[in-house]
Amino acid sequence: MLEIPAQIWQKTKTSYIWRSLFRHGYPDSRKNQSLAVFTNVFLHLHPVKVRRHALAIPYTWCMGGLTFFLFLVLTLTGTLLMFYYRPTTEWAYSDIKDLETVVVFGQLLRNMHRWAAHGMVITVFLHMIRVFYTGSYKPPREFNWVVGTLLFFFTILLSYTGYLLPWDQLSFWAVTVGYEIARATPAIGDEFAFVLFGGFQLGPNALLRFYVLHVVGLPLTVGFLIAIHFWRIRKDGGITGPL
Amino acid sequence: MTAPRGPQPFPGQEKRLRLLAFVRQDSIVRVDKRVEDTAMVWPHLLVIEFIAAMLWSIGLFAISAAFNAPLQDHQTPDCTPNPSKAPWYLLNLQELLLHMDKGLAGVVVPTLWLVFMAAIPYIDRSREGVGIWFTSPNGKRITIFAAVYSTLLTFSLILLDAFLKAHGYIEFASDYFPGGKQLFPNYVIPIAIMIGLSVLLVVIVKRLYGASTREWMIAIYTGWVATYLVLTVVGTSMRGPGMDLFAPWAVPATHQCFAPTK
Ligand code: HEM
Repeated sequence: MLEIPAQIWQKTKTSYIWRSLFRHGYPDSRKNQSLAVFTNVFLHLHPVKVRRHALAIPYTWCMGGLTFFLFLVLTLTGTLLMFYYRPTTEWAYSDIKDLETVVVFGQLLRNMHRWAAHGMVITVFLHMIRVFYTGSYKPPREFNWVVGTLLFFFTILLSYTGYLLPWDQLSFWAVTVGYEIARATPAIGDEFAFVLFGGFQLGPNALLRFYVLHVVGLPLTVGFLIAIHFWRIRKDGGITGPL
Repeated sequence: MTAPRGPQPFPGQEKRLRLLAFVRQDSIVRVDKRVEDTAMVWPHLLVIEFIAAMLWSIGLFAISAAFNAPLQDHQTPDCTPNPSKAPWYLLNLQELLLHMDKGLAGVVVPTLWLVFMAAIPYIDRSREGVGIWFTSPNGKRITIFAAVYSTLLTFSLILLDAFLKAHGYIEFASDYFPGGKQLFPNYVIPIAIMIGLSVLLVVIVKRLYGASTREWMIAIYTGWVATYLVLTVVGTSMRGPGMDLFAPWAVPATHQCFAPTK
């Protein structure tokens, strides 16, 4: 019985196409496990081996990884939301309403994007706390901590710019609070608010600006910073552990 | 044609290896890795990541199926909810706004804090306690002390502010303080409190626990985390209409439409 699938598997594995995709056998030997990690563009974010300590959940809480996971979820659900949402004062609100009432699974999609966004703010905060209390910002990781600080700031900014987009009472007045703060910036308050919000009132310009920042500017920034962050983790010798 | 030098590959197994560069161990990988306590990423790390991603995906689906994201009526500038609140992760700043000048609370303080936070590794340069939670038992005691110190003080200051303002503090300041109700209540006093209490915290942990640089940094950072959380909680669950202070269980509902007085 099992011979047929075994034969098919054997055939597949030795086929020209398969071998053009994978340059190693099934990862059940050390050699193939190493090859699996460093010949795969996604897996090669990892080293081939890590210190056992780095696997301990009480140590990292997995929080950096989960923050990254939520970032990916947000990118995916956010892209899907972009199919339905138009950032203009005429359409924004009714597009969200449609998403909730007309689009199949639209409500679920919106909920996932929203809760993952809140989640990411929490996980990034917890990640930062774990990094601090384990002294993981110390040499040679000083610069990665700085990159991290920027990530913290941009994560909050991402969340905040997204908050305006439904254009309902809740989002409008919540962002108004931020607008008032921006205007109170010493010396350059009015100019700063004008540039960020596109006017002296929260109107169509603010909506468009926040949208562009939210779907293009900030995700790209955060994406680049995450790439640098991960690269530096590798170059700084993996994650910390007691010496 | 001369045969290539060196060991010959078996037929069909030719491998081309090229040496790119010699890199001193210390410059790229500065933390020493001993072979015996390493684990293969495939399968040991990947399995953890896979399970974590699955569990979180399921959890996110469950939460999203159970709870709907809020959506209120279409925005209208004629109708201000009272209170209007920022999203919860910014309510700490909004809370701070109530106690000092807006620009100071909303822009200057957070900016300076972010700059200071980025500078932490350049101030505390020792390698003391890398990879150890709280560095040492002393570090743990300092963390607890700083958390209690900051929680109590922040909370008391919020209550004090509410109490004083309910008893004519602003009017008193306008009449008697130099600079009226701006200079001292909005600038001098809050700045003095923020700097003073932070310095005091460092002095105390140095005296009481003989804190090293790493350890007083723990105190300051813990102080920030505690303050941040207290401000967030107060801003989220203890501020009602007019941003007045209420007990968390007695906060009146938001007035959805607070028409401006004509
Ligand atoms: C979008 C936000 C972020 C993502 C996706 C992210 C991701 C990660 C991941 C996956 C790790 C590996 C170890 C672990 O999971 O704990 C890590 C380590 C690290 N992160 Fe982050 N991080 C983010 C934000 C931050 C922030 C806000 C800070 C600090 C201010 C920070 C500082 C560090 C440092 C210093 C390390 C090295 C830790 C060590 O060697 O033990 N990161 N980050």
